[in-house]
Amino acid sequence: MASRGGDRALPTSAASGAAAAAAEEMEEGGEEEFGFSRNYFLAKEIGSASGKRSAARKLSDIDLVDEQVLRTSLAGIATKHEKEIKALLKRYKDLYPRWLFELRCGFGLLMYGFGSKKVLLEDFASTTLTDYGVIVINGYLPSVNIKQVLITMVEVLWDQLKVNRKCPPNKSKMQLPSSSQTIDDILSFLDSQISTDNDGFICVLIHNIDGPALRDSETQQHLARIACCSHVRIVASIDHVNAPLLWDKKMVHTQFKWCWYHVPTFAPYKVEGTFFPLILASGGNAQTTKTALVVLQSLTPNAQSVFKVLAEYQLANEKEEGMPVSTLYTKCRERFLVSSQVTLNSHLTEFKDHELVKIRRHSDGQDCLYIPLSTEALEKLLQELV
Amino acid sequence: MATSPTASDPPSSPIAASDTADNNLQPFFVLHKALPGKSEKRASGSGRTRRKIDLSASSPKSAEKSDQIPPDDSDAICEKLRLEAFERTWSKIDSTIKEVLRQINLNLFNEVLQWIQELFSIIKSSRTTSLSEIQRPYPLLTDALCRRVPAAFVFTKNVEFVDDLLTFQDLGVHLKSNRCHVASLSGLDFLAKHGIGGCVRSLLRQLVSDASDVADFAVLASWYCEQENYNNPIIIIIDDMQRCNGGVLGEFITLLSEWVIKIPIFIIMGVATTVDAPRKLLSSNALQHLQPCKLTLGSPAERMNALVEAILVKPCSGFSISHKVAVFLRNYFLRHDGTITSFISALKLACSKHFSLEPLSCLCLGTFDENRRDEFDAFPGPILRTAFDLPSCKREKISQGSGTSITQGLSQLRKLQRSWSSVVMCLFETGKRSKMQLLDIFCEASDPNLQISSMTRGIPITGKLGSGKAGFIAQAIHRVRELPIALLPHVLKMWSLHMKDMNEVIDKVKELQSNIASGDGGQLYKEKWTDIHKRPVYLGARKGTVSVNDKAAMLLDDMVRKYLTPIECAPFHEIICFGHVEILQSALIGDTRRIIQVDLLKPQNHLRCSCCNGDENIVSPTMHDTSIMYYLSQEYGDVINLHDWYQIFKVTISTPSSKSRKRLHNSPASKKLKTTPTENEAEIQSRFCRAVTELQITGLLRMPSKRRPDFVQRVAFGL
Repeated sequence: MASRGGDRALPTSAASGAAAAAAEEMEEGGEEEFGFSRNYFLAKEIGSASGKRSAARKLSDIDLVDEQVLRTSLAGIATKHEKEIKALLKRYKDLYPRWLFELRCGFGLLMYGFGSKKVLLEDFASTTLTDYGVIVINGYLPSVNIKQVLITMVEVLWDQLKVNRKCPPNKSKMQLPSSSQTIDDILSFLDSQISTDNDGFICVLIHNIDGPALRDSETQQHLARIACCSHVRIVASIDHVNAPLLWDKKMVHTQFKWCWYHVPTFAPYKVEGTFFPLILASGGNAQTTKTALVVLQSLTPNAQSVFKVLAEYQLANEKEEGMPVSTLYTKCRERFLVSSQVTLNSHLTEFKDHELVKIRRHSDGQDCLYIPLSTEALEKLLQELV
Repeated sequence: MATSPTASDPPSSPIAASDTADNNLQPFFVLHKALPGKSEKRASGSGRTRRKIDLSASSPKSAEKSDQIPPDDSDAICEKLRLEAFERTWSKIDSTIKEVLRQINLNLFNEVLQWIQELFSIIKSSRTTSLSEIQRPYPLLTDALCRRVPAAFVFTKNVEFVDDLLTFQDLGVHLKSNRCHVASLSGLDFLAKHGIGGCVRSLLRQLVSDASDVADFAVLASWYCEQENYNNPIIIIIDDMQRCNGGVLGEFITLLSEWVIKIPIFIIMGVATTVDAPRKLLSSNALQHLQPCKLTLGSPAERMNALVEAILVKPCSGFSISHKVAVFLRNYFLRHDGTITSFISALKLACSKHFSLEPLSCLCLGTFDENRRDEFDAFPGPILRTAFDLPSCKREKISQGSGTSITQGLSQLRKLQRSWSSVVMCLFETGKRSKMQLLDIFCEASDPNLQISSMTRGIPITGKLGSGKAGFIAQAIHRVRELPIALLPHVLKMWSLHMKDMNEVIDKVKELQSNIASGDGGQLYKEKWTDIHKRPVYLGARKGTVSVNDKAAMLLDDMVRKYLTPIECAPFHEIICFGHVEILQSALIGDTRRIIQVDLLKPQNHLRCSCCNGDENIVSPTMHDTSIMYYLSQEYGDVINLHDWYQIFKVTISTPSSKSRKRLHNSPASKKLKTTPTENEAEIQSRFCRAVTELQITGLLRMPSKRRPDFVQRVAFGL
């Protein structure tokens, strides 16, 4: 029942080493192993305790309110210490010139401490970094397309250099990278081709560089390579206690060049928490029309179409338990959406990772796919996806 | 694109609300583009020049303090100057570092080059293949034994490969300048995921300028046949072979061996651990395609000593660090990760912090470079006058009217530093024979408390760092006594080189040298030498006579007492010397695991509210929900029963604040709680959910597993 927010945990043990590559393995195997060894002793502990009194209480013993009511009420929670938080943020304003100085010196800023740092960082960017283009990456979302970010970065930087130099760069034959190029190509373009003289930089503001969208080691490697481009500075925030394990020494010392700042804000993690399941909601299901839409929009058009095929089938055959994989494959092939079973599987893996699609065993023994959304929610999703 | 707000907006409402909602769910967006033409007149905001520096970055002083000096342009000018000063200073340090490392590695580089040239000339003389043959798709039918790729294994003697990245980069540059084609590959190019295609593509991308994305080795063959590329060897550098996937690397080597007759390819691989590492990583099939050669790099300690000498002892840039910072950097190097890279990055951070925090730091360059004296004129007067408020000036009772100008003060500082570093080098010259590290001597010699001990004559010098034993300086002096007489001339020669500006010392060194040359074995009468100072009683010194060794030791002892004045003892040292060790530490090492927990357990430290109780052990309902929940979770073991946790949370937040309860000592589960459904049940439940989510974001909590749906797992135990 734990949704993706819970599953994609950072490595638990510091001893697991700083290598980012380990992070992925830890997500899968580590948790199980950790859980198992602990669970064994816990079972003993709880077993002996429950001998004396009644068994541990269940979540269902709480008089749970309806999920819809819970969500409504969640939106209306009053922030505690609002005045003090404001004062705290005002005090941090004094540090802005220092932050800017360090960015200009070539360091990256890494902000940590409890509380959402979204407002703080965006305020810093929009008041102090006015001379530089700023791109914001929301790492707390389930997925971010780094390549798209890179292309935008190149465009912003290109514009900025053109304006600063008053005359456009003389390499007229040079073309800006497009989405047809690989990430490596765009990175090497960003790093070397643009300009050699040191006239400014663009700033990449990453909310939750340790977030679900950016947590895998490949993305971290890409970010590290972005960070060491001479015209790019990174301002990032982390919230997870194990976030430093994402980086190895090369990344920390020669690429990101972090300058740490402890800036607890105690501001609520409103946006950052959107994609986490509500612990008291029935089934702990995080997927709503809105979250599903955000995930779907980050996927390729083909993947979206495959999803649509499945959704339409589900709406048309409400009584069935799901759509058999073979049927989905045939339909998608007919519409030229996939060319082979392998392509379809890669789409399905993506869906499953983001909990857009689940698998259950059909009564005739066949595996079939279904979307864990109500009919109304699914209809709404299809309308908005167009 | 979101419109940027005006600078006067309070932080709580930074961006127009409608935009925010959209942008929050965008994977990324452009916040704003650079505003043209504003860069020159940008105000530095509230960053006024302050004599008092905030010592803790985490709790900045209140905004009111910053308004003591009326705002004027001098801030902006000053900041610009400081930034320029940092850039110049660091580029000097950086180029010094690069040069030092290059010099150290030069022997190895030449060895590699010689190896390549020798083999290449053999290959050239035996090769009869024509250009057309090279491009033919099938391999040539020649002796199978020739199909071995020359490979040099460079043993780095250093498990930390970061330090060697630069070495291999430099090697590449060195080889390129000697007419070799060089391609650098790393562990990331040899991933099992991408297979052999990944590394071949990366290789082609580096050598062939208009390479398509096809991983075809024939492209390289045809590129090699072009006029300008022909007749030069191709070198492939793999900086750390142990980070490569063995299978892919083996396959790559086999592929190279098929082409090696046509194209002269050499591989250079860095090996971090032991000699048998290649054998462990590669299959025997791949190994037999290699024609190995073993080379070894200098040890990290050697490099460290050279670096400390060039950048810290002999200040190449005018920037220096205080004793506390030096000790911190030494411990950071020894205990944290022992890499030169991390040491250098820490030093860079210290340097930037110095120029960021010290308003007068831009005068740093003036002390180093005589030609930059005009910078004083350009400098805003009011800020310059703050120099007399520096603690070191107050201590020495130097004020503006007392006749000492800043320029004088700085030039004295420079003189002092020069003689100080000469003595440190003399100490190291003897100390290195007993494996002393320069950084240790540096730390001890920069201790401002050292001055006191050197004032009291007749007592042997003892440092603090030696903990229990004599300090490094005392050990170095003692070492001179034990030097074999054959080595002494060399040491004396080095001393005279280091002390070349100080005639007094040079004369004495010359006298000693002539004594040795006259061959009298160094027996002198004591009276002649007691005028240096009253000699302390040493063990083993024979009565009435003094050996040359003793005399040399006395001379060194004397130099230490006279010239080894730490920079922190001089006025105006704050201008060139960085001393805020706490700031450096907090910027360098973010201890997330501990500090986020402290944030949660002691939120009052930062919020400074009046409503919450300051007592650590009392949970107040006015506290942050997440803080309350984290407090309550401390009562549990590895797992937390959600039901109990919820109930206890509910009770805590519903209790009026006047009745703040002591932390529960019994197990929360044993409390009998009456659940009375109220209209605010939904609110409490949503607050509970929010707090759990926030704990999950910080990673302090794991969600329930399928096996145990009613429990969450705690992750961190204790601070």
